[in-house]
Order: sequence, then C-alpha cells, then structure tokens
Amino acid sequence: MKMHYLKLAIAFALVATLTSGCKQNSDESKSPDMPKPDEQAKIAIVVSTLNNPWFVVLADTARDRAKELGYDAEIFDSQNDPAKEEANFENILASGYKAIILNPTDADGSIANVRKAKAAGIPVFCIDREINATDAATSQILSDSYSGAVALGQNFVKQVGEQGQYVELLGLVGDNNTWNRSKGFHSVVDRYPGLKMVAQQSADFDRAKGMEVLESILQAHPDINAVFCGNDAMAMGAYQALVTDGKADKVKIFGFDGSDDVVKLIADGKIAATGMQFPKTMARKAAEFADQYIKGKRDFEQKIPVSVELVTKENVDQYKDYGKASGG
Amino acid sequence: MNRAAPILIAIVVLCAGIWLVPLVHFVPLKSARQHSTEATFNPSAFAETFWSERLLESVDKAVDAAVLLAEIKQDPKEAREKHGRTLGLSGTYYYFVSGTGRILTVDKESVSLTLGAKDSTVDIILETGNIFGNAVRDGTGLIDVNNYPNSRDFNDISSEINRRIEERVLPSLRAKAAVGATVHFAGCAEISNETTDLHPLVLVPIVAEVQ
Repeated sequence: MKMHYLKLAIAFALVATLTSGCKQNSDESKSPDMPKPDEQAKIAIVVSTLNNPWFVVLADTARDRAKELGYDAEIFDSQNDPAKEEANFENILASGYKAIILNPTDADGSIANVRKAKAAGIPVFCIDREINATDAATSQILSDSYSGAVALGQNFVKQVGEQGQYVELLGLVGDNNTWNRSKGFHSVVDRYPGLKMVAQQSADFDRAKGMEVLESILQAHPDINAVFCGNDAMAMGAYQALVTDGKADKVKIFGFDGSDDVVKLIADGKIAATGMQFPKTMARKAAEFADQYIKGKRDFEQKIPVSVELVTKENVDQYKDYGKASGG
Repeated sequence: MNRAAPILIAIVVLCAGIWLVPLVHFVPLKSARQHSTEATFNPSAFAETFWSERLLESVDKAVDAAVLLAEIKQDPKEAREKHGRTLGLSGTYYYFVSGTGRILTVDKESVSLTLGAKDSTVDIILETGNIFGNAVRDGTGLIDVNNYPNSRDFNDISSEINRRIEERVLPSLRAKAAVGATVHFAGCAEISNETTDLHPLVLVPIVAEVQ
C-alpha cells in the first residue's frame, strides 16, 4: 500500500514538474515578441561570403539600413559553406533575433535553414540569391540574372563579332544565379555558330580562383578572343591572368555584378562590359521588409525581381558606387 | 493470464494501427517514375499550352499602338502607370501593344511600320531576327514569377516562347513583308531606356498578319 502512495507521489511530482516546465517555455516563447521599451530588437544578416567586395556592400547596406530603422543588426559570414550557414542559423535562432536577411549559399541546401527559422517564428528575407522554394522565406528580392545575361550576350556578339573563341568562367554550381547567367548568355551566343566556347569551368565566384583557372586554360587555348565571367570578382581575376600573360589588350572580358573596380576598368577600356545588379537597392528593401514584418505586416510578394542593367564604355558614366550615378 | 492480457491487447491495437496507417507504402516502379516525371517542370509543354490557350486569346487586351504612342507623347510617366508592366523593383518595364500599320522598310532583322495612312514616320519596329529575352513572358502579365520555386524554370519559359515566335510568326512575316503592305500586329516592347525605346516601339511580335 505504501508503495502505491509512493508511486502516486512520484507521478504527481513528475506531472507538476513537466507542467511547470511547459508554462515556463510558453512564457519564454512569448517574451521575444514583446521586448521591453528600452530593449533594441535584433536583425541578423547572413551573407554567403565576405571575401568579395560586392557581398560586403550587400551586407553592410542591409546592416546600416536596419540600424537606421532602429534595430541592432549583426552580420554573419557563411564563407560560402552551407555547414557554416547552418551553424549561423542555429546561433541566430538561439539568440532572440526578430528577423533574418539571408544571402544563401545554396539554392537547395539553404531551404532547411529557412524552414527552421520559419518554424521558430522568425521571418527570412532572401537577397540576391534565391532558394528553390516559395513556401519557406517570407520574401525573396532577387537580381534578374537571366535578363541581365541576355543583354550581356547581345553586347558580347556586338563587341566580339560573330566569329571567335571564348572561355566561360562559371560561379558556384549550387547557386541558381550561376546557371541563370550562363543560360541567359548562351541563349544569345549559341545562336552564332562562329562563336566557339573552348572551355567552361567553375571558379566559384572567387577572384583568386578566376585567375588560376584562366591561367590554366590559356596554356591550352592561347588564342581566345573573349572571356565571359559569371561575376565581377572572377572578371578581375581573369583580367589579372591576361595582364600577366600580356594579352589584356587582345581579349575582351565580360563580368556581372557592377562592382566598383570593374566599372572603373570599363571606363578605362580594360573590361568590355558588366551587368549592374544594384546590391544596395536589394539590401535596403530587405531591411525595410524586415521592419514592416516586425511591425505587423504579413502580405509580402514571394519573389521580387530587380532588373540588371548593361554597363559598357558608352554608358559607364551613369553608374558608380554599386548603382546609378544619379542615386537610383 | 492477468499479465498477458494487456500485452496481447497492446499488440492487437498496434497491428490494427499499422494496418490502418502503414509506415511503408509499396508502389509499382512504373507508377513511381510517372509521379516523379509529373513533379518535374516541363517548360516546352507549359509554353505550348500557354501559347495556344492563353497568349493568343489575350491579344484583345493589348493596348492600341496609336493610342499608346499618343499618350506617351503627352506624358510618358502617366502612360507607363496606365499601360506598362513592371516586374518587381525593375527600372525596365513592358508594353503589350496591338494595331495596324503600313510597312516602310524591310531589313535583315526587322520590319518598320508607320501607323499614319500617309505618314513616313517610323512608329513601330517588328523584330524579325533571333528573339531573346523576356519581353513576351513579362510583357503580357499572364505569367506570375511567384508561381515558380526555381527561377531557372521561369527563364526556360521565355526560351520556349521565343522559339515558338521564331518558328510560327516570323517566317510568314519575313516572306510576305513588302514596302507599302499593311500589317496587323500584336507584340511586346521592352523599355529599358526611355530616351531611345519609346518611339519607335520595338516589338517582339506574337501576331503579324500581312494583308
């Protein structure tokens, strides 16, 4: 009989403990939604890499706009590594952030991180790069890479001509922008049978790799006429490789991004063209969306394309500081 | 017996549960393959249905070219707000236009038209060379980017639409186009530079009937 009372007591204690634990958790889950008046809400900016000036501008602009709107904002660098991005998310989800601005490392691989945040009630706003899901992020503000690359492809034919040999340097193979740019470019250039692609290789959107890869390709194909690069960092690497090889004046380089160093080299006639992506526009808009979400707005467009504009020597004076010279 | 009865009941309940809600489903391989194929987006099939069931049906919704050009001349900003289509935060926008014009010139990759009966001003240029870009996909406003989880699929739609224009619209236009002939047309114009793109309007044609 005594044993029965003992079991009953233990069961009661267990239920009481679990119930109190649930209540405490419930209170904790509510508390981040209601910060004290003097407590500054936090926004996290998770960027694929800070080893590229374009992404530094993207992340810094998002952080600065979030601060202007009254938030505490912090940048997390995923170093182009999905595992680091996952660790960043775990850290952020445990640290009371109200919103995440994400520049993903991988269109498929980053979906799980976004879903985790969504399950935790934290909105995610993707910028520049998309994830392959329309039910995970609150909104995605994305460069229209395909259209930008179509315009670059048309300019490529205009500048290089309908005959010649060229190399394509691809970005990260897991990123949709890599393929949207490549497909947009080839949708034009492949219509000209006289233009032969002698090599196509990934340099991971990285300047140093861009240089190394092109140096290696030049040994096998010394007579190329042009290089199409999936971003400006690789275009800068390609330019360095061609300068070293003494061919910078003979080979036309095409980039994508609109980074300051490439825009300056276009003005100097050293690089043929690039696509201006407007990273500041995307980053500012994402911070404003996060602010609107925190203040109660819920109806966001899932995908918001941002046009990419062709920058050549003819119109380069209209562009500077990662956007329009007029401030657009 | 007292000890065995609850265990027996538990096993029966468990078996019944598994029978009702099986943990594993076995399906024929053929059926699984079919399901997998259905889940993959087919841009060619999509574009074919879009072309025959939606695009050509929508031509009567295009703005009249003469009306649009008059409104652009009066106030380009208001004309854009009234008739233009913009995707997202883009500076680029599109017009979906139709009308009837008289051929002024026939070139290798374009045909130029005037809308006035005795005029010699070029108002419209119909592209007749290779068709690139997203003018028709985005200019008609019939396809919503939010319905496509993967932008690569969304972009493949443009390639397929452009291919159909090259195969179904342009050959007849190129063959019949002659200076002085009348053309009934409908198409989409991409405006990325208002200084150069608003007059004449350069159209990717989806209808071009030479009379």
